[in-house]
Amino acid sequence: MNALRSEIRKLTSTKLTWWLALASFAFTALNVVLLVYLVPTNAQIRDNTVLLELPDYVTSIVAACGSASVFILLIGVLGLTGEYRHMTITATFLASPRRWPVLLSKAAVFGVLGALLGIVNFAVSYALARLTLAGKVHAPIDTSLAGKILLGVMLGFAIYAILGMAVGALLRNQIAAVIIALVWVLLVQPLLGVFFSWAPKWLPGGALDSILHQSYQGGRTTADLLPAWGGALVLIGYAVVLGAIAAGTTLRRDVT
Amino acid sequence: MSSHVAIEVRGLNKTFGSRKPVRAVRDLSFSVAPGKVTGFLGPNGSGKTTTLRTVLGLVRPTSGDALIQGQHYSQLAHPQRVVGAALEASGVHPGRTAQAHLQVLCAAGGIPYDRVPAVLEEVGLTEAASRKVGGFSLGMRQRLALAGALLGDPAILVLDEPANGLDPEGIAWLRHTLRNLAAEGKAVLISSHVLSEVQLTVDDVVIISKGALVTQCPLAELSAGPRQVLVRSADDPSLARAINEESGNAASPAPGGGLLVTGADSAAIGRIALTRQIPLIELREHSADLESVFLELTHAEVSA
Repeated sequence: MNALRSEIRKLTSTKLTWWLALASFAFTALNVVLLVYLVPTNAQIRDNTVLLELPDYVTSIVAACGSASVFILLIGVLGLTGEYRHMTITATFLASPRRWPVLLSKAAVFGVLGALLGIVNFAVSYALARLTLAGKVHAPIDTSLAGKILLGVMLGFAIYAILGMAVGALLRNQIAAVIIALVWVLLVQPLLGVFFSWAPKWLPGGALDSILHQSYQGGRTTADLLPAWGGALVLIGYAVVLGAIAAGTTLRRDVT
Repeated sequence: MSSHVAIEVRGLNKTFGSRKPVRAVRDLSFSVAPGKVTGFLGPNGSGKTTTLRTVLGLVRPTSGDALIQGQHYSQLAHPQRVVGAALEASGVHPGRTAQAHLQVLCAAGGIPYDRVPAVLEEVGLTEAASRKVGGFSLGMRQRLALAGALLGDPAILVLDEPANGLDPEGIAWLRHTLRNLAAEGKAVLISSHVLSEVQLTVDDVVIISKGALVTQCPLAELSAGPRQVLVRSADDPSLARAINEESGNAASPAPGGGLLVTGADSAAIGRIALTRQIPLIELREHSADLESVFLELTHAEVSA
């Protein structure tokens, strides 16, 4: 319990996390605006239908909150590597020499933070979608699907924050961890999808898309995805495996 | 385990790395008593920090034990209330205020937040409480680190190079503070690579070199040493022979020129010089200063 309170005080006493949270909201808003105004003019017609009249496309606008996932990943990476960068990990383990409660508290705090930021990002994309679609001819927003997207983004962002922490715990070097996380998200994962059409659904990005019912990327339908429950299992699997490796090394490693 | 020992290190070994192993600590044993300030001394890289980190459960020993009041650090139910530690002055997030930093530590140890203003006052940082640590001077960081160590009002303090970066006024303040804490009955262990920095503060010294113990003794014993006379003459080699023949005492060349004679007083040496008609240039009792004793002790270990 003490470890948990300490982690919360850490989070509320520094600013970087909150700047990244604001950036994630802005990024979600930007994606909604692009999907409503820019993409349909480039690819107006599809099977003789205006893009905005396709239910799946409208759903993808609501699910645009998922595009902010990279910021959530970075929040996790920076939250953990910051302890090593500023050597506060020493004070942390001095106060709690049994290390596993510290790691569990961190995972809990960042998981909850990820879920909360998921809710806000969903609110941004949902409200902005309503606002920008008003007055246009469009397929109706499926509210029951929107509810599933909300649950999906909460789970997905909780897991992305924990995945970021796990990567941070394994690498410890803040700059290296940030670069590797970004290279993975922006380069490796998309390229794997290009070369192996079966790959995306098994990768974190594709799994996140499936729990968000996100079937469009930039106006095109994406490769085949797992059902939402399958995507959830894949994401949880990544979090458990990476988290276990990260915890195992952090529990044993000398803090010098 | 008797309550007379605050910290006990027994046969401690630590080797880092497996491909190119580095033996940071070798078969080290010493103890720290309550009510005293113990100086943990050795040159840079002699294993002081590794030893302290092992005592504090941050580094796992290869073999041997490091015990706090008879327990491993990780077995302590409320570690911050038993041991206050300040390991690096830089172990603070620069974006946090001094107050927020201490609150994070309070929360972790279940210590009420109202200890924060109390310890800030104790180290003279009350004015800086709501300033960000990123703008602190090295001396202020040292004070903040000490404040963090005092939060749980522990019986034992472990401070790694606490005088580093302090100006003379700060060193005087630190000495005064640590003397007071020891007088309250606390065990205070401070490391330093400069004996002169702490020689007015410590009661006992533990000196290590290359990871191994050189000596543990009260500071007074360290400075006593054997009685020696320094003599310079017109013909040192002849005088050395004469001293050896007449008094049986050894005379060896002194580092700055002349001879160092162990076990004879200056009157005896004066008489020997007179009978052999060797003109004397200088003759005085030689008391080795602490710093050179320290250098000699740690250097001897290095060349061995």
